[in-house]
Amino acid sequence: MSPQSVLAVSNLTKFYGDFKALDSVSFAVEKGWIYGYLGPNGAGKTTTIRTMLGLLRPDQGEVQIDGVNPAKNPVHALKSVGYAPELPTLQTFFSGEQLMEFIGKMFGLAAQARKARIKQLLDLVGLKEWGDKKIGKYSKGMVQRLSLALALINDPLVLIMDEPTIGMDPEGTAHFRNLFTSLSKEGKTIFISSHLLDEVQRICTHVGMINKGKMVFNGLITQVLETFTKQWVIEAELKTVTKTMITAIKNLDYVEDVKVDENKLRIELKEKKDLRGEISSEIFKRKGVLLSLNLHKITLEDAYLRALKGDQ
Amino acid sequence: MGFLQRSANMVTYEWRRALAKKKFYVLVILTLVLQIGLFALFSYFFTNPPPGFVGSPLEEMKASMWLVGVLGLQGLFIPLIAIVIAGGSMSEEYERGTADILLSKPITKMEYMTGKFLGGLSLLGFVIVLITILGTTLAYGLFGPQESIQFVPVIYLVLLYSNLLFFSMTFMFSEVFRRTTLSIMAVIGIFVASLFIGGILSMMHLMTQEQLYLEISKWLPNWSVSNLPSFVASELITAPESPFVSVPGGDIQLAAAIIAVYTIASILIAALKLVRSDVTKRTG
Ligand SMILES: Nc1ncnc2c1ncn2[C@@H]1O[C@H](COP(=O)(O)OP(=O)(O)OP(=O)(O)O)[C@@H](O)[C@H]1O
Ligand SMILES: [Mg+2]
Repeated sequence: MSPQSVLAVSNLTKFYGDFKALDSVSFAVEKGWIYGYLGPNGAGKTTTIRTMLGLLRPDQGEVQIDGVNPAKNPVHALKSVGYAPELPTLQTFFSGEQLMEFIGKMFGLAAQARKARIKQLLDLVGLKEWGDKKIGKYSKGMVQRLSLALALINDPLVLIMDEPTIGMDPEGTAHFRNLFTSLSKEGKTIFISSHLLDEVQRICTHVGMINKGKMVFNGLITQVLETFTKQWVIEAELKTVTKTMITAIKNLDYVEDVKVDENKLRIELKEKKDLRGEISSEIFKRKGVLLSLNLHKITLEDAYLRALKGDQ
Repeated sequence: MGFLQRSANMVTYEWRRALAKKKFYVLVILTLVLQIGLFALFSYFFTNPPPGFVGSPLEEMKASMWLVGVLGLQGLFIPLIAIVIAGGSMSEEYERGTADILLSKPITKMEYMTGKFLGGLSLLGFVIVLITILGTTLAYGLFGPQESIQFVPVIYLVLLYSNLLFFSMTFMFSEVFRRTTLSIMAVIGIFVASLFIGGILSMMHLMTQEQLYLEISKWLPNWSVSNLPSFVASELITAPESPFVSVPGGDIQLAAAIIAVYTIASILIAALKLVRSDVTKRTG
């Protein structure tokens, strides 16, 4: 954690009653990163985010946004933060424009700047025709879009979004994905939570993985594979599988383990090496009839699932 | 942007929030209609006085009818409006999940609460202005020139001050329970219980002549709220025989102090709860 980290979370622990929702969570996000905060349902993503904004009081640990603790000094810490909550519920008695106007005032934006910004943002999120309609009349996806426009009203340096594209149509999802990438190119720091690996993989530069309140990985997205992949796997389909065949393959020095599923063998290798040639000649030597042979490099998805199981 | 600006922005927000409620309009309109009805009744009474109810006392009554108009609704209806305005003030933001939108912005919890409190209170003040204006206008229109009319602004301020008690108490429950219906019910419960216990205590006082019962009953929340305005009115208007200012021995200082105690305690509890707890979502 360098002193200039835009977001610094250290040893965050949070209980809901007796339930430990966060267990000593730490990470830091530097300027210009798109940090994906990845974890399954109930992992503690929303809890982390709401604690980062000072909405929840941590039992232990501290959060700093650009060096300021938002729970202690929200006025200073949150002035250049944009936040889009998970499944936002907005003030239904306002129209989209009125709510943006009010939130703009909360950030101290001047009237002139507010007007221009509201128009530009409504356009950007595809709600140009809806600005003057009551939010109570918006669809779920429209509320989500407005919530993202609100998060951008103060031209924030840090954008914190909790599953921002949930409930959005594919076109919207793609649009916002591009938007986040271009915002990051402008030098903004983006923190985005998701339970979808695919989403994170597409746009994030860094990733933090959380499961059951504990961080299981924190680093470059390209390192995830490295960290969680010890081995590659070869899948061999044979006409018939015999016990001697299995034992023979299991006893090869480069084989870690063999799992059998009817006439298919799942051969886990000890290293990341394409050993299909070696395996096939072993099978031929023992008069096996090979139907197919595939090398299976572990995907990010597997790595993610492994990370969640904790078998690093 | 300082404390004042950020709180003031919340004040305008709170107006919008409270004004979006149908409940609020229904109650205000009901109150104003009731006020008109009250005057219609008195007007009928004055034009068709029962036998033995003629002459100068009647004329004297006519000249201070504005007090009826202004104070007549204090016992029940204005406190009810105060309760409705304050009831959802804090809780609705939790119930709807909108507190997250507000408190994730550059504003302190104290500024947020100050804005909400003053927003609701100023709205209540506006409703009392309506009641006061309607009351005095009706008195003028129906019963001719009014006496001591110069005291209208003072009486107005005293009314507003008195209503701080139930307003703050409801506001406090709204933050503590974080449920609108529950906080409104709680305060209405306290209000009714306080009326009931007050009745029992004054009966005991009548039966035993024991002063203590009376002293205890003064600390019930509704005693000060419903009596302070008329105490002040009777003090101001030097017409001891004035028929509507009938509570003798009114203790202005005590009533004012009791209101202050309840109000300050409520505000402190609400502030403590707000600062010391998580911003919750969807408790409703
Ligand atoms: N207010 C609360 N009271 C009690 N438990 C809670 C509360 N909020 C969340 N939890 C629990 O804390 C854990 C973490 O919840 P959190 O909402 O942070 O998960 P999440 O990672 O955001 O999940 P999702 O992907 O479903 O949004 C869950 O087990 C949840 O049940
Ligand atoms: Mg969540």
